[in-house]
Amino acid sequence: MTSTNSKPRRQFKLTEASLGVWSVIVFIFLFAPIIVIFVYSFNSGRLLAAWDGFGFDGYQAMLEKTAVTSSVWVSLRAGVFSALLATLLGTLAGVAMARRPGKWVAWFSVLLLFVAITPEIVDAVSLLPWVVFLGQDLGLGIFNDGIVRLVVGQSLFSTAVVTYIVRSRLVGLNENLEEASADLYAPPARTFWKITLPLAMPAVLAGGLLSFTLGLDNTIVASFVQVSGTTPWPVYVLSSVRTGLRPDIASMSVVMLVLTLGALALVAVVLKKSGDSASQIARTMAG
Amino acid sequence: MKSENSQLKILASAPAAKIITQELNRRRFLSFAAAAGGAAFLAACSSPDAILKNGLEGSLSMYSWGDYDAPEVLTGFTKKLGPKLTVDSFGSNEEMISKLTEAKGTSGYDIVVPTGPFIPQMVQNKLLTKLDHSLIPNIKYMDPAFLGRDWDPNNDYSICKAWGTTGFVYDKTVIKRELLTWNDFFDAAENEASGSVSVLDDPGEITGMYYWAHGIDWNTTKKEDIDAAEDYLVNTFAKHVASFNSNPGSDAVVQSLQSLIQIWNGDARLGISESDDPDKWQWVLGSPATELWMDNWAIAEGAPHPKSAHAFINYVLEPANSLKELDYIGYHTGGTGIEEKAKEEGLEMLDLVFFTPEQLATMKTAEINEAQARTVDIWNKMKAAAGA
Amino acid sequence: MSGFRLPRPTLAIPAIGWLLIFFVAPVLMVLWFSFGYKPGIFASHANDKLSFDRYAEALNPTFFTTFWNTLWVGLAGTILCLLIAFPVAYWMSVKVPVRFRGLLLALVMVPYWTNFLVRTIGWQIILAPHGWLATALSSVGIIHGPLDILYTRSAVLLGVVYNYLPLMILPLFVAFDRVSNEMREASKDLGAGRIATLFRVTIPLAMPGIIVGTILVYIPLMGDYITAKVLGGAKGNMAGVLVASQFQTAQNWALGSAMAVLLIVVILLSAALAGLIIWLAILPFSRSRKLVIGMAK
Repeated sequence: MTSTNSKPRRQFKLTEASLGVWSVIVFIFLFAPIIVIFVYSFNSGRLLAAWDGFGFDGYQAMLEKTAVTSSVWVSLRAGVFSALLATLLGTLAGVAMARRPGKWVAWFSVLLLFVAITPEIVDAVSLLPWVVFLGQDLGLGIFNDGIVRLVVGQSLFSTAVVTYIVRSRLVGLNENLEEASADLYAPPARTFWKITLPLAMPAVLAGGLLSFTLGLDNTIVASFVQVSGTTPWPVYVLSSVRTGLRPDIASMSVVMLVLTLGALALVAVVLKKSGDSASQIARTMAG
Repeated sequence: MKSENSQLKILASAPAAKIITQELNRRRFLSFAAAAGGAAFLAACSSPDAILKNGLEGSLSMYSWGDYDAPEVLTGFTKKLGPKLTVDSFGSNEEMISKLTEAKGTSGYDIVVPTGPFIPQMVQNKLLTKLDHSLIPNIKYMDPAFLGRDWDPNNDYSICKAWGTTGFVYDKTVIKRELLTWNDFFDAAENEASGSVSVLDDPGEITGMYYWAHGIDWNTTKKEDIDAAEDYLVNTFAKHVASFNSNPGSDAVVQSLQSLIQIWNGDARLGISESDDPDKWQWVLGSPATELWMDNWAIAEGAPHPKSAHAFINYVLEPANSLKELDYIGYHTGGTGIEEKAKEEGLEMLDLVFFTPEQLATMKTAEINEAQARTVDIWNKMKAAAGA
Repeated sequence: MSGFRLPRPTLAIPAIGWLLIFFVAPVLMVLWFSFGYKPGIFASHANDKLSFDRYAEALNPTFFTTFWNTLWVGLAGTILCLLIAFPVAYWMSVKVPVRFRGLLLALVMVPYWTNFLVRTIGWQIILAPHGWLATALSSVGIIHGPLDILYTRSAVLLGVVYNYLPLMILPLFVAFDRVSNEMREASKDLGAGRIATLFRVTIPLAMPGIIVGTILVYIPLMGDYITAKVLGGAKGNMAGVLVASQFQTAQNWALGSAMAVLLIVVILLSAALAGLIIWLAILPFSRSRKLVIGMAK
């Protein structure tokens, strides 16, 4: 198991290089189909997957179809809200699991496991009558809103994901700062805000990003809970398969990607302005 | 873990103090995010309805298959008659039915587009409202052959939106002989096309092939018929199947992913015409018998905009709009004389859209009956056998 | 442990409440259907007569044949994800300069902002018999003739790995990120080699993240029935399809619920079994790990 000490420097470089090469290969793998879609978004033919010629027809058609643009807008809104919600709920829960362990953690873990394991179609058929019941029988009008329903549906698995990730970051990580803070009679909220949250920040950001991403792809639950005017993008795409996907789907995907990247860049700039990257802060804390 | 970490603390605490000063900034970001979220939420609210001068409601909500109408027909309707159109999509009839059932008449959808066999259960469960034919005079442009089908003999609840049929395509560079019937399909699947067969991902379509090939009523509920179909499909046929795909025209045909493909006519037309090498594909209408499926215009029970809904159905039945719809989706809309108009317009491969009365006579419609559970069971067993 | 502290689960209460209202309550209602039956061809469920008959129906040979395929896909997919993601997450959190880490983390997610079906079409264009990859490989003479990868077991795994990779990379990144450089340096200064440091310091400390990544890939993957089949076709048949077929096609919610319960139980059992095996396998290592940590003091 131990390395030979004769040529440590060389071995070091070799490991370093192969790690980098492997990672670059994986990133190429991740982006390969996206590059294809980018190219095919300029397909002027009838079918997305059959190249015909270069043109901007897809982009033009995309703008003419209100069903396309509105579904993307619905998805982006539902994605952002469900990510914010799941990140909030999941971060608090993850911190509690790591910092206030007890018998309840076992029960809660089982609950999260069930959230992750339940087939999506079961969530879908159960959530639909439930939100109708809440909205119409109990008169909670908010549940008749399509975006609210989508957010609820998408937040379940995402909350579990954020909780898991935040907990795994904090569990076993030194608690001495928080204890010191408490010893100095800082109120718990202050300790949480100033010490625990920064410690958890990489996990919070990663979890939030993952929630948003999962929300964008949510198809089965979304198709059941949507109401008039809130068909989300994945439901539209899946449903359009019946008559053959056109290049405008690829064009819209590209536009959506660019818009989302732009929004993310904006957030990054705001974060940057406010100091070091969260990751660095937390590393300082932990390190 | 606990004990290890209390040891590790010593390495950790030194540079920590620095952090406190950086904390205020995190707050700034969160308040920004909250503000952005609030703004987007307000933008989501919509304005209430108004009645237009022509007596129609100011908006109309349609729940249909995705990308299933020519965009110019949709925009043309709003331009000519006024109601603002919202189109939502579903991926299956069952999904749409669940939605309408649970909403108990408050789904907010006006027009829905169910497939024929699902209409009786929707009527029985009071999910559809009766059409007022006086508001749909353009029904006169419909070919009587596509009116009054089994599921709605008097068109009380539905009018044909588009219909299609099932057949198969094969790659002539792989299958060198001529295939004409479902029996030929099965024979080729077991021989030269083995492992390169695609079938529709729909239980009725798969058992249907067996029944059509053997002269058995597609809607049979006889145990011996179903047992025979199960035995052949699961034990003999399944292992040759590579893919269960309901829309192979968009991928399997254009990318040559399989060589023998069960397919709907409009999808085949699309796939072959977009293929790099259209000549290598041969379309065969299923025989001796095959399917006729039909999607239908209908109005949901409790529709908030019934007048606009009738006006829309009437509008799409106008021959000019009917032709635009046919051109866009590639399926016959059921209008009279539309074949001649399509020819005048120069649309291609029309033999995959229009069929002769003799061919039409061999096409059967499905019904949902007691055999459904067995059919789904056979489908699952086939998938298990094909995946093993 | 001094100062005042909130009762233990206080911070988790919002999440618990949310999941109770929007997950437990509705899902329990559907599970209740599993004791009922399908009353007629046009109705999906009824509960006026209760029985375990649906469970007996669900426990059929098809379920188990399908489940074996599912288990194979689930295990192979999870292991591949772990093996592929591990070096990437390690590189991102240890070797890459801090200021680029956030960017890379976002880049892992970016491909997934394109719709699932659209990504799949991207892969089909690449992997088709005469697609991009086939053209590239035959131009350098590696293959002659069409590429035969779609609709094979390799394609099943490719689809699964592609779609579940971020659920592995992110938790691993977060876990490695917390194992500080100082700790690794200390381990090295104390004479432990690079590999020994990896196995005895980094991996044990990142273990919570590794476990989470594995759970987040394995558990949802086992219930998923779409991802495996988009590139793998019939070879990607998963048990979840049985549940979906009852809810969506047969409109038999009673049987669908019973199958869902059965599937959940079997997935949990398989996960528990796998966990037990892994725990037994690493038991010897955990002793030596403690020793190293003890020395680090």
